[in-house]
Formats: sequence, C-alpha cells, structure tokens
Amino acid sequence: MTTSVSKVYLLEMATGKAVEAELHDGVTEQQLEDWETKWFPVLFARQQQLVRTGVPLAGWSQSRQWSWRDKMARIECLLAYQTFCIVCECVTQGMIQIDMTKSARLDGQSGKPLVYIEYLEVAPWNRTELGQQAKFGGVGSILMRAAVEHSVNEEFHGRIGLHSLPQANDFYGNTCGMMDLGPDPDYENLRYFEMTPELARSFLDNGREP
Amino acid sequence: MKLDVTKKWCLEMARREGDAEVGAGLLAFDPEPKEPAEGTDEVHRHDDPHLAFGPLIALLRRRHGLTIEKLAVNADVDPGDLVSIERDPHYTPEPRTVFQLARVFRLPNKRLMQLSGLAVAKDARFRQAAVRFAALSGSIEALSKEEKTMLESFIKFLSEEEDKGR
Repeated sequence: MTTSVSKVYLLEMATGKAVEAELHDGVTEQQLEDWETKWFPVLFARQQQLVRTGVPLAGWSQSRQWSWRDKMARIECLLAYQTFCIVCECVTQGMIQIDMTKSARLDGQSGKPLVYIEYLEVAPWNRTELGQQAKFGGVGSILMRAAVEHSVNEEFHGRIGLHSLPQANDFYGNTCGMMDLGPDPDYENLRYFEMTPELARSFLDNGREP
Repeated sequence: MKLDVTKKWCLEMARREGDAEVGAGLLAFDPEPKEPAEGTDEVHRHDDPHLAFGPLIALLRRRHGLTIEKLAVNADVDPGDLVSIERDPHYTPEPRTVFQLARVFRLPNKRLMQLSGLAVAKDARFRQAAVRFAALSGSIEALSKEEKTMLESFIKFLSEEEDKGR
C-alpha cells in the first residue's frame, strides 16, 4: 500500500522544542504493529498501576477497550472510510479513522455531507493518566486538521462531526472551536460535536482567539 | 492527500492542545443493545441470569489455572474489569470484554452477552439454569469434582441452547 506523507511538527513537551514528524495518509500494518507492540504494553502497565492505586474505572483511559486491528478489519476495502496517522521517531503517535457517509445535524447544515470521525486516539505516552508528562503535544490537532482538509478535498467544505470521549469534551469545544450539540442517546450518551465550514476556516487559519 | 501545514500552525495548536485528552469515538463497538423484555424492569430480578456471569468466569479461569492478570493478557481485557466481573454481581462489563472472554473460553457469544447483563434473555429455562448455576457455585480455591461437573454441565447447556437458536 502506498501512502502519501506530509511533513508536520509536534511539540516535545519536556523541552518545548519543535520536532519534525510525518502525517501518513493511511494506517498500515506498521501502525497496527506499533499499536500491539508499543502502545498496548504501556496501556496495560498503566492499567495495572491504576488497579494497584485503586483508581476507579471512571478515571481510566476511555479508549482502553479499542482494538485498532479490529477497526481496520471492519473497514477493509470500504472506499467510504479513510485513515491517517502521525509518525515521529519512527513510531506511530496517533491514528484517526473517518467515515464519509454521514450528514450534518446543525441547523443550517442539516443533511449536508460531512466527514465523521469514527475514532481518534493518541499513543499512551502522549497522554497524562497518572500524572505523567505527555511526550509530544499537538498530535490531536494535526489529526483533526487532516480530517478537516479531507472534508475540504471531498467538497464537504470542512464540515466534520464526532462523538467525543467524555474527558475530551473541552478539547473539541474550546481548542478546536466545534459546536457542542449535547449528549447523544444513540451513541452511549457521548457529546456530539460538529464543525461548520466557517468554523473549519477559522480552525485552519488558526485565527480563533483562545 | 498532501497536507500543507506550517510549523507555526502546528506549534500554536500544540500549545493550545497542551496535554488535553483528545480521544473520539464510541467507547465500545458492536454491542448487542440491552433491550428490556416486555413486562420487566431494569432492576435486578431474583431470576436474573446476570448472577451467573461472575461465578462462570471465575470457575473457568480457575479451571484453566489462570490468574486474573494472566487471563486479562490472554483475553486482551482490563484486569480491573475481571476483578469487577468476578466480585460484583451487579457489574455490567463492556461488550468487547464479553466478546473477548467468549473467544478465549470458546463460549457462545450471544449467551455470554445475556449472562453479562448486556442483552436480555427472554426464555425462562435459560434464566433458571443460570441462577441455579450461580447458587451452586462456591468460592473455594481449587475446583472440586462437583464444581467441575457442574461447570461442564452448564457450558454444555449454553452450547446446546446456542445451537437451538441457529
């Protein structure tokens, strides 16, 4: 499988320095191997630590049940789905899977096609469970940018939608500037967020005030 | 798709993102939705097959000589979930956890979903068999001969019921 590669930058949180990385157009076997051999052992070790320290399940990583191998198998050969990943220091730092068959829900946009983010996850060392420092910052933003740019390329004008994991509501509502349509009873009561073409332009231009 | 993004944009967004959690997507996939049967309510009933789920997993784990951590690795599930399954009769696990346990122990997924409380068992015979199993299962460390017999019988019953449903 041939993938397109774009140069991007991550923020090394310990030093505050920019680190060159790659956005790959597609999740390949290499990413699945990284997930199995690099992400999973870290996740498992953290979960053991969470058990030992008595942290209730509500405080655990909310994507801990995900299997990217299953997710990729489910969309194999389906043209309506697309994936992207970020690679830095030869290791997968984050992955996203998007679906081009869904429609917008917001007033004024309802029924128009959008890019729906089925799954977005960053590597466990880029998260801060148990108080440790994340290694790289910006992985989520670049994956979101890939989804928005894909929406533009598909002539969906930057419209995207997603169901946020509870701990990530602030990122989508405030950092990405998406509209919060509230809990969705059909999707495990996760909050549904949507980005209009105007909000997408603002996100791409990085012109929004924090 | 080639992305034309500046270093400035990446770093500005990285600073705004900080160490925020950014995950998106359903917590679980392929769940068999929990639909209360007509005339029942959501509270646990005295004949709730859910009562048998924890004892069944505990006995199977012990029969295979597995610790909770080892089973968690084999099934690719959270050890914390397994602790809750075995010790809390009111705990409802994630659908994926049940699916993984069904795979590891070669049990019919549909029946295990019903035992776990994620799906509703509507036939009285199944419910009664599950509760009888729960009532008879003990908590001793090694499986007794009686426990082994009881476990084998219940697994056989689950598999037969699954075959009938096809």
